[in-house]
Amino acid sequence: MHAETLLDIAMMHSDSLILKAKQGDQNAQGRLVQLWYKRIYNFGYKFFIDHDLAMEISQKTFISMCKNLSGLQDTARFKSWLYKIAVNYCREEARKMKGSRSLSFDVVWNKEADDSPRWESSGQRHDNPERQFEQTELSDILQEALSTINEEQREVVIMKEYEGLKFREIAEVLNISENTVKSRMYYGLDSLRKVLEKKNINKDSIGYEL
Amino acid sequence: MSYKPDENDWMAYLYGELDGEAKERFEKYLLENDDARATLQKYHGLRKVMSHLEDEEVIAPPIVFSDTKPSFFGQVPYLKTIMSIAASLLIIILVGKMTGANVSVTDNEFRIGFGEKKSKETTPAEIIQEPLLTEADVRQMINESLENNNEAIQASWKENEKKLTGSIKQNLALNSNKVDALIRQASTASQEQISQFVSGMQAENMKQVKDYFALTSAEQKTYIENLLVDFADYLQQQRNNDLQLVQMKMNSLEKDTDIFKQETEQILTSIISTVGSSSNNEIKN
Repeated sequence: MHAETLLDIAMMHSDSLILKAKQGDQNAQGRLVQLWYKRIYNFGYKFFIDHDLAMEISQKTFISMCKNLSGLQDTARFKSWLYKIAVNYCREEARKMKGSRSLSFDVVWNKEADDSPRWESSGQRHDNPERQFEQTELSDILQEALSTINEEQREVVIMKEYEGLKFREIAEVLNISENTVKSRMYYGLDSLRKVLEKKNINKDSIGYEL
Repeated sequence: MSYKPDENDWMAYLYGELDGEAKERFEKYLLENDDARATLQKYHGLRKVMSHLEDEEVIAPPIVFSDTKPSFFGQVPYLKTIMSIAASLLIIILVGKMTGANVSVTDNEFRIGFGEKKSKETTPAEIIQEPLLTEADVRQMINESLENNNEAIQASWKENEKKLTGSIKQNLALNSNKVDALIRQASTASQEQISQFVSGMQAENMKQVKDYFALTSAEQKTYIENLLVDFADYLQQQRNNDLQLVQMKMNSLEKDTDIFKQETEQILTSIISTVGSSSNNEIKN
């Protein structure tokens, strides 16, 4: 969550903005969409490693948010409420994928083309092309490792590690107990550690390489 | 009593969500236990590795909200369906009224029709009239009327025929009288009259020819006169031109002669002068 400015983060949780949006202020709703879009998109992207699916989930989530915001009782729970919508859409898409068991044409044939813009977009962050390559490669490995773990654990790991939700909030999102969340997190991390160990990725190797 | 944290404690501590006494107890356990510290280091290492997965950059697409608020009809459940059914029924009733549709069920018979139903029952008047006029009566009446009609037509034809024949005969008689009168007139015309007529014709023709010749001769005369005048003018012009040319030539000849004369004089004077000077020299010598 380091990409947003402090002002953005403050606005994301601003009660007044959420209240205005809840009362039907379209500008406030638009502002909320702008503030939260990246977070929801990245949640979807880390869940599926698919830009189109992540975009679809984000759009559905925000359309649903605008429609149903007036029904939100407690504005303090806006964040967990929003992630709940996103998680539901993620699960719906995952069910569809399991049902169809088909691969997108782009995934099969256009993998390289799909990867190439990431090289270009991340080019400004590193002056050293070798470091840039290693960073991209590491991101791919981590993303792949995430996709190997159980879906329930993956939801929790992404929400905790990358979206910064508290265990209590995740429990609200998933409608389960806090202890179950912690348990899923524990086993999720364990699975990830094993996958990364197999690939010989650890703190020291990363430190050496980067 | 030995304390051993469970997975929940581990996760809560790792993410800073363990507070108060539980946190103190966990930290004490860590101090006492090397393996636990190593495990915590592993978790920190894993989190450090995981932090290398960065966010994807994305721009939120514009989301357009429709201004229309849900109407009263939209809020009431099934009202739309009920209204549409009612509207359909109303249309059917109106169309039925306009086209005069008639639906009836009588004696195991379902009937759909347009316009008023035509009754098969006969009126009392028809019942009374029916025995009065039989088919034969009607035929007889038709025949009678046809016969009357034919007779009237024949009578009018005959009358017309008579009138036509009368008028034709009258015309013929008039024409024949006229023709007879003309023939009689022609036969009575004498030889003298014919010769007079012919001589008159001849005299007239002669006069016409004379006039024509007189007219044409006058025109020809003027034309020839004009032609002669033009020719004379042309000759005169030609002559003048020739004279001018001769005069010009004569003038040039005169000029040439003058020049020749002057040259001769000059030559002569020069000869004389040279002869004179040579004779003087000889005298001096």
